[in-house]
Amino acid sequence: MNKYDVVVIGGGPAGLAASKSAHKNGAKTLLIEREGELGGILKQCIHDGFGLERFKEKLSGPEYIYNETEELPLELEISLLTYVTNITKTEKGFELILVNRQGINKIETKKIILATGCRERTAKQVSIHGTSPAGVLTAGTAQYYINILGEMPTKTCVILGSGDIGLIMARRITLEGGKVIGVYEAKSTPSGLTRNIVQCLEDYQIPLHLSHTVTKVFGTNRLEAVEISKVDENMQPIKGTEKVVDCDALILSVGLIPENEIAESIGVRINPKTKGPFCDQTLMTSLYGVYCCGNALHVNDLVDYVSESGEIAGENAAKKAEKEERKLIEVKTNQKIMYTVPSLIDLTCITKKTIFYFRSTENYEKQKLVIYGNKEIIFSKKYHVVKPPEMERVEIDLSSVKNLQEIKVILEDE
Amino acid sequence: MLSKVVAKLNRKIQLINPDVNLSLKEDCALLTGSSHNWDEIIMIGRMVAKTKKFYGVINDIKLKDFVEPKMRVPSIRDDIYEGMKVDVLVIGGGIVGAAIAREMTKYNLEIALVEKEDDLALHASSRNDGCIHVGIDLNSKTKKLEYLRRSVLVYEKLAQDLDVEYDKVGQIIAFKSNWERLIYLLLKLKIKKNGIQETKFLNREELFKREPNLNKIAKFGVLFGTGACICPYNMTIALAESAVMNGAKVLLSTAVLSMEVKNKEIISVKTNRGRIFPKVVINAAGVFSDIVAEMAEDRFFSIHPRRGTNAILDKKAKDKLMFQSTTIYGGLKKAAKRYTKGGGVIPTVEGNTLVGPTAIETPYREDFATNREEINQIFSKHKNNAPHLHQKDIITYFSGIRAATYEEDFIIQKGKWTKNIVHAAGIQSPGLTAAPAIAEDVAKYTCDILGNVTKNEQFNPIRKGIIRVNKLSYEERNKLILKKPDYGQIVCRCEEISKGEIIDALHRPIVVPTIDAIKKRTRAGMGRCQGGFCQPLVIEIIAKEMKTNRENINKKGDGKILLHPTKGENHE
Repeated sequence: MNKYDVVVIGGGPAGLAASKSAHKNGAKTLLIEREGELGGILKQCIHDGFGLERFKEKLSGPEYIYNETEELPLELEISLLTYVTNITKTEKGFELILVNRQGINKIETKKIILATGCRERTAKQVSIHGTSPAGVLTAGTAQYYINILGEMPTKTCVILGSGDIGLIMARRITLEGGKVIGVYEAKSTPSGLTRNIVQCLEDYQIPLHLSHTVTKVFGTNRLEAVEISKVDENMQPIKGTEKVVDCDALILSVGLIPENEIAESIGVRINPKTKGPFCDQTLMTSLYGVYCCGNALHVNDLVDYVSESGEIAGENAAKKAEKEERKLIEVKTNQKIMYTVPSLIDLTCITKKTIFYFRSTENYEKQKLVIYGNKEIIFSKKYHVVKPPEMERVEIDLSSVKNLQEIKVILEDE
Repeated sequence: MLSKVVAKLNRKIQLINPDVNLSLKEDCALLTGSSHNWDEIIMIGRMVAKTKKFYGVINDIKLKDFVEPKMRVPSIRDDIYEGMKVDVLVIGGGIVGAAIAREMTKYNLEIALVEKEDDLALHASSRNDGCIHVGIDLNSKTKKLEYLRRSVLVYEKLAQDLDVEYDKVGQIIAFKSNWERLIYLLLKLKIKKNGIQETKFLNREELFKREPNLNKIAKFGVLFGTGACICPYNMTIALAESAVMNGAKVLLSTAVLSMEVKNKEIISVKTNRGRIFPKVVINAAGVFSDIVAEMAEDRFFSIHPRRGTNAILDKKAKDKLMFQSTTIYGGLKKAAKRYTKGGGVIPTVEGNTLVGPTAIETPYREDFATNREEINQIFSKHKNNAPHLHQKDIITYFSGIRAATYEEDFIIQKGKWTKNIVHAAGIQSPGLTAAPAIAEDVAKYTCDILGNVTKNEQFNPIRKGIIRVNKLSYEERNKLILKKPDYGQIVCRCEEISKGEIIDALHRPIVVPTIDAIKKRTRAGMGRCQGGFCQPLVIEIIAKEMKTNRENINKKGDGKILLHPTKGENHE
């Protein structure tokens, strides 16, 4: 049986960064990827805008992956087209059962890093009713068809949800000669980044309809039309506002859900706010030896932060002792903060640099972020505006606080 | 005698709606006229049926300002089956039609089954809750109970022969107050009367040991050990494949359009793919069974469609739900008014939880659209049984149409007027359960009509299904992968389905190369991402195996997924 120090599950940007950093820090590492190629979802993201933070230039998804994989160390083991069918906790660590074209393989590892990414919410998870014809698909699937297979799944479509992939696909479909009738968003504010609203919709005169949703689909074998309704402040459809729009596809960009089924199977606790595991600042989950990074941890807007979290997880997984006492405290927040990552702090491994990611619950203007350690201010930063779709990142030094017992992250009016 | 009943009923009907008239067609009740209200039409039909004085109830009351949509028919028009001669033509590829076709292959006969859709079990036989019922809710004099009782005795063996998973989980009725022990006594009488085996009283402790997540208000319960669950469309596909292996023909995308009837005998059956000349026709046409009976000049009943909606929950939700199908007793009055068992929180063989179904009368025979209200309705209803039930766990939902008659019972018999037809009509719950025994009787009636039928000594009852690799032991799975590496390549990540299984599904006695058909046969795309990741991969596998362009791979019917290549793609 093969034995490893660290096994990374998932070969997208998070897993790549995690495995490289675990390997660099001296761990015998295996990277497992279920597809035939590394890169995860970036393989199909042919638009640019990736890598400004990490590589200081605007790259396409495949270019970003090229940069990430260019100097992969030879000793880093990679297993492609491989699926993890089972994980069990053992005395010494974990036992994994792998499936691939060579057969069933059992391996042992001291640490696991989960870099399993996320999946898209489907039509029925957002309560779309009616028939079930061809032509109702998620933006990611549409992107795969167009960018990987070179096939158009639509001529005239409606996009539901203003998530970033939806906006990107509105532009992509338009460039390919398709017609996007409009982007409909149930919330009263857009879900995607402002730059995408401008560059993907406004530049192409694609209308964005806020506080509207698709309530029904029509068509037996192929989609023929959708029913659109206005929604109230609780996002419930208002009766009498229904309008039928003819189209051959409904493309959904209605949210991403971190994929943590493997994590849950071994008892990792999931944060209901992020749908990813509760983690401390080393990105270790509630289960000793199991780390999580990238979009499996929480859905990021920038791949640069995904890679960063992979590096943090990889380094810590490689360095951390096999068994050690942890002293976890919860990161407290106020109402204006939707969540923070990390959500826990392990007091036994405080260092000079701790990275915090957070999102606000609503759009707020003129805000101040204040981080308290034992009621003393250790960090503060002003924001002209904070919005839920735009994740913020700060670096703080927790080592300055003596005998840290409590940590609070507060967003308040300036 | 009958005319007196008619006169009396007509007086009642006049009070409800003077535009409606009841007359006789021989000994059948015939309702004509019109109404603005569909529920009223149903109510009048039921009122006439309740007298039990008529051979059948034909309800032709028109709903005003309503144009019934024409039966959906495949777009294909050719004559590849023109002139085909068969002994037996089964109309309908649902569970009953498939079971009959297989049963008939036990005899030396030429058999064809026609199905208008592009796959088997596309409607009521897949859009149901997969319950093998115990029969406690049925009236003891019904055909429903008779066929259910006979079928339950043979079902497990049949499922085993056909390699279809049969999960005998049991069903429970729980009671929420101690005075309901009186009802329990009545229930015991009914158990005896209906001949139900394997029942057991459960005290509170035993009840919660089996069902820890049941609403704590429950005080005691009754376990019905014969209750089981099965995958209804896999059972149908298995029966049809077995029929084909034993010599029957299954003709998909073939709709019956009309019949030529002479001297009370069907001469030919016109389809969109040519005329077929059968000796006997079997009507297993589900929600269209009265229309088929009309074509055969043998309509003595009417179908009134009743929609049911079910929701399927994520496998993760199972831990907080229940393992058996459990219903908390809802009170006498409510039970008496129901026309269906009322559904419940039901496990599926695959480990998901199903909630439902509803029961809504509708004039549309093929309206499978779901709606928000019905989902809300089933959740608020079953929350009483399972307090942890939550809509956020939903991964999918669907609606089906029950083919109810006004008598609310099955019609299993030879034609009333036409000599060479056998009806298996009016099939609704517990049709999935009752199918094996129905098939047996229909086969017997058919042989009677044909005369001089000999047994097929070569009949092989065994059919092997597609291997499910993630259900094998690691050792067996490893061996299999070494033989065929495609079994080691996972395509559907949510349900852990391999490329090998998808290829297998394309090499079966009945091959349907669509995304939906592959999904049903292998479960690729059935999981929580609903095919978001694997659909493109499945398209590629099907296109390669069928040696065609991926733009020709449809979701179902002629529902294209990919329309044309992108600008940059050069397709010669």
